[in-house]
Amino acid sequence: MTFAVFEWLNSGNNLSFILEGFAINLEIALVAILLALVAGLALALLRLSRNRLVSTVAGLWVDLFRNLPLLLLILFLFLWIPQGWRNTWENTIPGWAPEAFQSGLMLAGLSGLVLYNSAVLAEIMRAGILSLPRGQAEAASALGLGYRQSMLHVILPQGLRRMVPATVSQLITLNKDTTLVSIIAITEVMRRARTVTATSGNPFTGGGVDAPILEVFIFVGLLFIAVNFALSRLSKRLEVRERRRSGSVPKPQVRGLEEQVA
Amino acid sequence: MPFAFFDVLTDNFDAFATGFGTTLRIVVLSFVIAMVVGTLVAAFRVAPNPWLQRLGAIYVEFFRNIPLLVLLFISFPGLRRAGVEITAIVAGVASLGLYTAAYVAEALRSGVFSVSKGQIEASLSLGFSYPQTLRRIVLPQAFRTVISPLGSLIIAMIKNSAILGGSILALDDLLKAGRVIQSRTFETVPSFVWAAAGYLILTGLATVAIRRLETRYAVRR
Repeated sequence: MTFAVFEWLNSGNNLSFILEGFAINLEIALVAILLALVAGLALALLRLSRNRLVSTVAGLWVDLFRNLPLLLLILFLFLWIPQGWRNTWENTIPGWAPEAFQSGLMLAGLSGLVLYNSAVLAEIMRAGILSLPRGQAEAASALGLGYRQSMLHVILPQGLRRMVPATVSQLITLNKDTTLVSIIAITEVMRRARTVTATSGNPFTGGGVDAPILEVFIFVGLLFIAVNFALSRLSKRLEVRERRRSGSVPKPQVRGLEEQVA
Repeated sequence: MPFAFFDVLTDNFDAFATGFGTTLRIVVLSFVIAMVVGTLVAAFRVAPNPWLQRLGAIYVEFFRNIPLLVLLFISFPGLRRAGVEITAIVAGVASLGLYTAAYVAEALRSGVFSVSKGQIEASLSLGFSYPQTLRRIVLPQAFRTVISPLGSLIIAMIKNSAILGGSILALDDLLKAGRVIQSRTFETVPSFVWAAAGYLILTGLATVAIRRLETRYAVRR
């Protein structure tokens, strides 16, 4: 009887079924963080723009999407995005993209994740850029660099390096948030875990053993903990290295883990 | 057309108000749990005993790295199927509270480290015991430096509370109210905009309150 604990893992292809589901979550997180980095940089630059109107609008946009629950965004996009857009997504997504991305539902899931995370990352980047001493921008303009040149060659390379630890921390949050797309019926690890628990002798997984909900979700939780723990270690190491590199800065404005927010 | 937009609010005001109340209740209850458990875990993490430190670290790494939705599946259908009679609201509030407690513990811990070592040494040499030092000397000072990190945690909690109503728990919170009204009226944009407005009111109020506290008590790190 004691050996019956986690017996379901060895039954049928339950284990690989769950692990493949978890890989989908990691893929979603990876794609979303890349898109969010690009969009976040654009938002940060717009917010720092010298044009009052542009910076105000970008500021409102960032504050709006940062302060809304991510699940609300995802559910709204799921219900609001017209069928036509989903079809366009399904038709244009290249065949080599992972299978989970072929579904039109992914459009709502990904847009929600990117809208939210780009707003969060924009704030992190803005803080990184603003944390540079004023002298950097002044020196650049004294050397005759224009706004664009000084951004590209002086400000961004330094400012963005400072936000690397905080970005890794955000990736941890994003990893966890990928589970939310299960609520709009995207099949990833949460959905697959529910499939595994649904019945014994499950046709999808070929398992012939009862899989208790408690055990299955503890197992799923441990998968996330393993990956996120490794990421948090990485973030901490990057932070220490960055602090050592920019030795003159005693307290970096962009903190990593200790200010990571749920 | 613009009338329909406001009609969605006025026609369903009771449902939105109930949802708002439920979300507020969830946030307040979870925050109490998060503060109590978080303070305890932080005390473990800075305790002189290495085993207590390790226990605190395990707590933090577990609850900080697990998705809240997974916690909800463990605590509600998981425990129920295993024979524990737990209600949706208890499972939800406990999950959100214990999850946020890990972040609270980390915020407090970094606050404790911001109190200079000399303070602790002075108080120990004055004859205070370690728990007394922590309670009377370190924590009052630490709390002041952690007002703003705790503030961001409250805002994150307000946002995370939506996962309770949006998922299997199906509590009648603000997001749930928006969804129900959407499915009844098919007015997708207004239903969600009004629910979003409710969340923005909560996060906005929290922001203002924290800013007030900060200007009164906060010490810049």
